[in-house]
Amino acid sequence: MTLNAFLSLLNGAGVTISVSLAGIALGVPFGLALALLRWQRVPLLAPLATVYVSLLRSTPAVTLCLLIFFALPVIGIEIDALSAAVATLALNTAAFNCEIWRSGLMNFSRDQIEAARTFGMSGPLTFRRIIFPQLWRTCLPSLVNEMTLLIKSSTAIAVIGVAEITRAAIRIGAQTYDPLPPMLVATGIYIVLVLVFVGLQRFTERVYGHAGGAA
Amino acid sequence: MTDTASESRDAPVLAPVLEISGLTKTFDDKVVLDGVSLTVARGQTVCLLGPSGSGKSTLLRCVNWLEKPDQGTVLLCGERIGMRPGGVVPMGNAELAKLRMRMGTVFQHFNLWPHLTVLQNIIEAPVHVQKRRREEVIAEAEALLENVGLADKRDAFPSRLSGGQKQRVGIARALAMKPELLLFDEPTSALDPELVGEVVAVMKSLSQAGSTMLVVTHEMGFARETADKVVLMDGGRVVEEGGPEEFFGNPRTERARQFLQRYVSA
Repeated sequence: MTLNAFLSLLNGAGVTISVSLAGIALGVPFGLALALLRWQRVPLLAPLATVYVSLLRSTPAVTLCLLIFFALPVIGIEIDALSAAVATLALNTAAFNCEIWRSGLMNFSRDQIEAARTFGMSGPLTFRRIIFPQLWRTCLPSLVNEMTLLIKSSTAIAVIGVAEITRAAIRIGAQTYDPLPPMLVATGIYIVLVLVFVGLQRFTERVYGHAGGAA
Repeated sequence: MTDTASESRDAPVLAPVLEISGLTKTFDDKVVLDGVSLTVARGQTVCLLGPSGSGKSTLLRCVNWLEKPDQGTVLLCGERIGMRPGGVVPMGNAELAKLRMRMGTVFQHFNLWPHLTVLQNIIEAPVHVQKRRREEVIAEAEALLENVGLADKRDAFPSRLSGGQKQRVGIARALAMKPELLLFDEPTSALDPELVGEVVAVMKSLSQAGSTMLVVTHEMGFARETADKVVLMDGGRVVEEGGPEEFFGNPRTERARQFLQRYVSA
């Protein structure tokens, strides 16, 4: 493998990382918003969120990516490949994140919420001060698990020509007639990425994990 | 009978702190409250006794408006809870919150917030709901912790405390709101027997200091020694109501005699 080939793999890694991070940054809060709509049984919006989750969960990322990239221009929305890639990952992961947040919310102690209400705390204040600080800690392992799945499924965006890790590796293999080395390097990069996420999760749990247990 | 208790009974007539009248509540087909009326005057300690399922806790939840009664009214210092004046339009959350923050509730299962330290639990609502100055609230919270004998647990998390300690924090948390009325929902029922005493002692001193308290309890000793008035509920109704000496010494109703017999023999 030449230096150039290696550099283009690194470039692919940069694309994978930035698209994944953008997808996570948008998808995690969006998932929380969906979960809150369902948890609070907001009229009209809660059923919509339910439909959204079932649809998105049953659509493969590749299909969703093609749909966004080729279908949006038909209804007059021009979208470049990179934005379509980020949208794919964010919309897809939001559906799964919604279910993670929602199960955390449903298991949250009614007693604590009731205590907050009797002390005159409003719903938003209760969420911000009482629920969320505990919720994110309990949801973190599942959220990070979903993030690692997102990183690996991010290769779906190659279908619309975004040069992420796997696409870069295939291209190098095709040029050199020696696909094994670039594939091995690509695999190594994915492993390192996932390990970094899991490491960050462990670190966060160690720093903020105190007293999150039973009262 | 303590001096404080007889004083409060002889006190000039003030608007009662809590005035419940004609409260009914039905869950599905089960009548849980069947026309309950009850008043708590300023400085009084009223103990609410009765077998489980008699509606005591539901009554307390209706006072908070955590449960909406089907009929009847609840007045806090003359102000109607849950309904706007006129009694037709229900209160919004913000209006309810304003009334709720004038009452302090102590729960059977403590309901402390586990991610906050003892001090943070106590100052949470005064700082974020009542919007009082943090430094001032902290100073008060420290004094309250001193009073309940937990000054050294200031920075501990609830998971590190015994049940009795948790409940004393629960009481300090309720007091930090400077409530006009304290509601206790079986505050010692979830405690190991040897931890009941420390919580009862704190409640007694509050009562003697003139707090207005409505206490749902199974602690007959506390009711006998501390209450200004004892109310026995059964089947969603008040079956007997009176001073503790009269109630425990010479109950008027057969139902009260049965109830007391079971407790004395237990």
